[in-house]
Amino acid sequence: MNFDVDGPDLNQSYGSDNASSVALRGTAPAQEFDLISLLLKEQQTLTAVDQFAKRYDANQLPAQSRYYADLIPAALPQSGEQYAFGVDLDRCSGCKACVTACHSLNGLDENETWRDVGLLTGGTNQDPIYQHVTTACHHCLDPGCMQACPVNAYEKDPVTGIVRHLDDQCFGCQYCTLACPYDVPKYHSKKGIVRKCDMCSQRLSDGEAPACVQACPHQAISINIVNKEQVIADSEIDPFLPAAPDPQHTYPTTTYKSRKPFPRNTIPADYYSASPQHAHMPLVIMLVLTQLSVGAFLTSLALEYFLSAATTDVMTRMSATFALFFGLVALGASTLHLGRPQYAFRGILGLKHSWLSREILAFGVFSNTAMAYALLTWLSGESFADLKAWQPLAGQVVGLTGIVGIFCSIMIYVFTKREFWNFESTMIKFGLTAVLLGITSTLFTLYLLGIFSHSAESQLLVAQAGPLLAKALIVTAVCKLTFEASIFRYLLRRQNSPLKRSALLMSGELSNITLARFACGILGGILMPAFLLNHQAQPLHTLSLLIIVSFLFVANLAGELLERYLFFSAVAAPRMPGVLR
Amino acid sequence: MSLMDPSNLGALIHQKEGHLTRELLLSPGGFGLGKVPDKNLPDSTTQMVCGFCGTGCNLNIHLKEGEAVCVSPTTEYPVNLGMACPKGWEALSVLDSPHRAISPLVKKSPNHWEPVDWDTALSLFTRKLKGIQQQHGADSVAFLSTGQMVTEEMTFLGALAKFGMGMQHGDGNTRQCMASAVTAYKQSFGFDSPPFTYQDLEESDVLVFVGANPCIAHPIMWERVMRNPHAPEIIAVDPRKTETAMQSSLHLQIYPKSDLPLFYGIAGILIEQGALDENYIEQHTEGFQEFAEHVAAYPLERVIAETGLSQAAIEKFADLIKSGKRVSFWWTMGVNQSYQGVRTAQALINLALMTGNIGRPGTGANSITGQCNAMGSRLFSNTTNLLGGHDFLNAEHRDKVARTLSIPTDRIPDQNSWPYHKIIEGILAGKIKGLWVICTNPAHSWINQGQVRDILERLDFLVVQDMYHNTETAKFADLILPAAGWGEKEGTFINAERRIGRVKRVKRAPGQALSDFSIFKLIAQYWGCGEMFANWTTPEAVFQLMKELSKGQPCDFSGIENYSEIDEQGGIQWPFPDTETQPPEPQRRLFADGEYFHQNGRARFIFSEPAKMPEPPNDQYPFILLTGRGTASQWHTQTRTRNSDVLRKLYPERIYVEMNPQDARAYSIHPNDWIMVESQRGRLKARAFITQSVQPGQLFIPMHYEETNQLTDAVFDPHSSQPSYKCCAVKVSTN
Repeated sequence: MNFDVDGPDLNQSYGSDNASSVALRGTAPAQEFDLISLLLKEQQTLTAVDQFAKRYDANQLPAQSRYYADLIPAALPQSGEQYAFGVDLDRCSGCKACVTACHSLNGLDENETWRDVGLLTGGTNQDPIYQHVTTACHHCLDPGCMQACPVNAYEKDPVTGIVRHLDDQCFGCQYCTLACPYDVPKYHSKKGIVRKCDMCSQRLSDGEAPACVQACPHQAISINIVNKEQVIADSEIDPFLPAAPDPQHTYPTTTYKSRKPFPRNTIPADYYSASPQHAHMPLVIMLVLTQLSVGAFLTSLALEYFLSAATTDVMTRMSATFALFFGLVALGASTLHLGRPQYAFRGILGLKHSWLSREILAFGVFSNTAMAYALLTWLSGESFADLKAWQPLAGQVVGLTGIVGIFCSIMIYVFTKREFWNFESTMIKFGLTAVLLGITSTLFTLYLLGIFSHSAESQLLVAQAGPLLAKALIVTAVCKLTFEASIFRYLLRRQNSPLKRSALLMSGELSNITLARFACGILGGILMPAFLLNHQAQPLHTLSLLIIVSFLFVANLAGELLERYLFFSAVAAPRMPGVLR
Repeated sequence: MSLMDPSNLGALIHQKEGHLTRELLLSPGGFGLGKVPDKNLPDSTTQMVCGFCGTGCNLNIHLKEGEAVCVSPTTEYPVNLGMACPKGWEALSVLDSPHRAISPLVKKSPNHWEPVDWDTALSLFTRKLKGIQQQHGADSVAFLSTGQMVTEEMTFLGALAKFGMGMQHGDGNTRQCMASAVTAYKQSFGFDSPPFTYQDLEESDVLVFVGANPCIAHPIMWERVMRNPHAPEIIAVDPRKTETAMQSSLHLQIYPKSDLPLFYGIAGILIEQGALDENYIEQHTEGFQEFAEHVAAYPLERVIAETGLSQAAIEKFADLIKSGKRVSFWWTMGVNQSYQGVRTAQALINLALMTGNIGRPGTGANSITGQCNAMGSRLFSNTTNLLGGHDFLNAEHRDKVARTLSIPTDRIPDQNSWPYHKIIEGILAGKIKGLWVICTNPAHSWINQGQVRDILERLDFLVVQDMYHNTETAKFADLILPAAGWGEKEGTFINAERRIGRVKRVKRAPGQALSDFSIFKLIAQYWGCGEMFANWTTPEAVFQLMKELSKGQPCDFSGIENYSEIDEQGGIQWPFPDTETQPPEPQRRLFADGEYFHQNGRARFIFSEPAKMPEPPNDQYPFILLTGRGTASQWHTQTRTRNSDVLRKLYPERIYVEMNPQDARAYSIHPNDWIMVESQRGRLKARAFITQSVQPGQLFIPMHYEETNQLTDAVFDPHSSQPSYKCCAVKVSTN
């Protein structure tokens, strides 16, 4: 009754010294313990290399080339041409091997995929459609990502047309993830950069097929050479795939072909899914506070215009400092948004094409002039009285660069062609935020001045400007809230348009935020200023006044932050057909 | 580096290279591979068969210092020709999981388990199960095996449980997928013998897929269909418009479970039109006359009425079979998982036999297998069959096995085991008190789940042996034994076309996890029957025993010398007896000579009157619920696939129900609404996916979600005891 664990083919590495001596009889515990350790040890030895590794000729062609030789071009594109993915939908069965092969053969991170497979459904009971669609980067003629990138981290190869991302150049602003209509660039928070499909250019350049092309069991994916003029002409007349974003924006080069006609009711499986998008908190703060800052400067200028510089002079110093403070906080917040803030200085490289670069430059100039202006207001009092002459001009420059900055902010989002972020809507929101918070902060400064300085000038200013600002605030708030609420009219529409998706999100998953936003807006923009107007005749107790104006300020600021949160999270991002989520 | 250096300054402003770029650098992989990630550059490679489905694809394992770092499909392997489905590509990543069992766990209180060492665990195992046997009899302890382990382990488990530990009853999860095909083949051909080789998919000019969606369930078999150079006609018989139906040239969208009358009707049309291979029927079959009389009762009108198909579609189907030169019939779970799966499979076998579409390239009545080693389990799990496809009731077989294994004949039960559902019933009846579940997940996958869970709770002692400690069944376990998985152990699988392929140890198992083989070895010792398995030292030693056991059987593979030969030949299909002198051809099929395994060498026409649907839709439960595979990235109960981030991204995370827009309108259900689906047995909440791919009055829910089997009805095929998962009556409501 010998139990010989050292069988003929057992791995050699743990030797036979202890192994061959283990002989078990019955259930003697001590010896069993030996067998357990032996087996545990054996479990940790790897046998494949010694026993089964296969030999290959080092110089041979990749074995897989026999299948993909016909699926990649034999020559480089001629002028006016470029490489493009081709997908034969009649051969795409929806197995999604392309996604996993791309992931494995490119060594992507655990959760990272560069290819997606969506699903189109529709048709009739007799003739339904159930069509899977594989999709990756479309290597567009006019790539949204590349245009948007403020640091020139995208390159379009002049010969192959492949759109490559330069990972080491990227500073992680993620603007490309908003600018690409196809949701292609993916952000890695750990690495602080974006990465994307480069059509396996390292493979193609050596005559190997991209991973997805190699791995499709049905040869549904190929690399073709396309004529650029043709791509443009095609995108003018037909959508390149049912339910895909309009190809006119970026001229995607992928060609989808199918013998089957797609019925009119073809929709992606995720047509009715809308999930909140990333809220980009640093951007929320940055946008709202830059607008506050610019708005505050502009409100001061406006007061000077309406009341006279002499009247407002008592608060200029304070309001300029206040506005500058928020402007600087905003710029600080914006760097928090970067995955690699140490490379923030690269941000203006894309000035020629990127609204983000332009915004960075504009607000850079704005903050510097604002600093100069604030400094001027402090210095020009006693010691350098002659500097005072420069003050109005400096104020106007600050206001002007601020307006340019806000305009650039607006254009950043307009560029993405998302309907929720169209020009009118974004301009009204950003512009009115500037006005609303500008008035709010000026009102706040004004009352603070009124509380803490009992000089005649300041009391006069409060009496003159207070009601004016409060009225303006109510008008602005009513306009802005009405405009924002107008999105809900889309709930009545049957078509599940992007704006309806935004309305659905705001009234559904994001309803708490929406409620809070309108509550803050009504409280700070309508009720509080109305209260102040009502109590004009009988002056309030100092403390109550302080509480009320602070509340007004906080409520309006919170309201605008929530509005901007919704601006990001309730947007319906364009995307390729997806799967049920 | 100096910042003043112009080139560095340039790089600082526009940096084209650097550590982030290098992370994605590709380098020539060598070993016949193309470029691979530089960080995973292999220093050697090996090959082995994938551990998910029954297709049996081969994977190149990229090794770095002996350990697998990446996989890619093997170009030359005759099964997959350089391709793999998502599960294969992600085969390694599911091994790394926080849910791996890394130590034996003993239940201390409900929902609380404590880690113990192997000695404690095995002593407990032995003490508890022996105690139950002493009190309630040896047959009061049973085991549930699997189609997912290597054959050597199944053999060990079956022999240990029945010959060593004296158990009478044991079954495997193959009962849930292949039992009907097994019984159909046994009755029709005389042995469980799928006749085909995958090359047939490329050689047919007419392919008939019944209750099969290879696009999703077996993408690599579909690869072979797509490579068919004969522009084949593809006929899909399925109540749903599946991916396969989408790609077919004729989709017969039949009323659920009307496949049997359809095939009888088609047989009737073919007989009427004289589209028969009379010569073949005459020489190689028996029972045709009776069959012809039987199908005469299926005139076109009846078939139209029962299937809901048009006359034109039915006639087209018959015409295609008639005009095809090489017609092949393929079926999978839509046929097997039925209350009349055996007869339906045999209806297809009959069509192949009567038209002579068998034994030639591109033909056959071919069952597509579910699990990676369903075929190994069918031959060697020692449950329904005695080891090696033998019969427990046959004294000669018992003698042969006893001789081969050098054990006393009286250790071999002379009675059949209870099938799976009888074991479950046995627990309910108090006859089974202890259960050992290995590498399967009945608390998720068994039919009418609410009842099964209730029954599992009644056990005195439940042992679950699995890679993961969080399977639905492990939650009921008194003892959890941590097992090594595919890639962490050695052995062989047998795929759907009877091809034996290798599995190797290329990853270290986590913690204290041991291969099932080692666990069985230890249990043999603790149980006190180690002596019986003295020669069962390594998987390869057991492989040699399996060869001996297969001798003289239709599945004889005694001609395979050893593991290395399997590697060298790219897998070897049985039969390959030691009388063969030449190396095996890479693609071989059965019955080229028309000789079947019945004693008279003839195949039998077997048929019977279709049964009524056990639970037809009614006023209270007006919908028929269909279940099945959801996506190619999900596998069965998802204990493995949910551990890969990438696979998880590729399927809907939450349970959904497919519903026709017409029904949705009638019930005011909107896309993505959460709705209740309820049967007489249970209810679940699922997201409504409104699609025309299911017919009005029918719903479809993928089987991978834990809740699905709360609805299904525990009805079984009377011949195969396979559960009928694919039709039961349900209702929906919106709250």
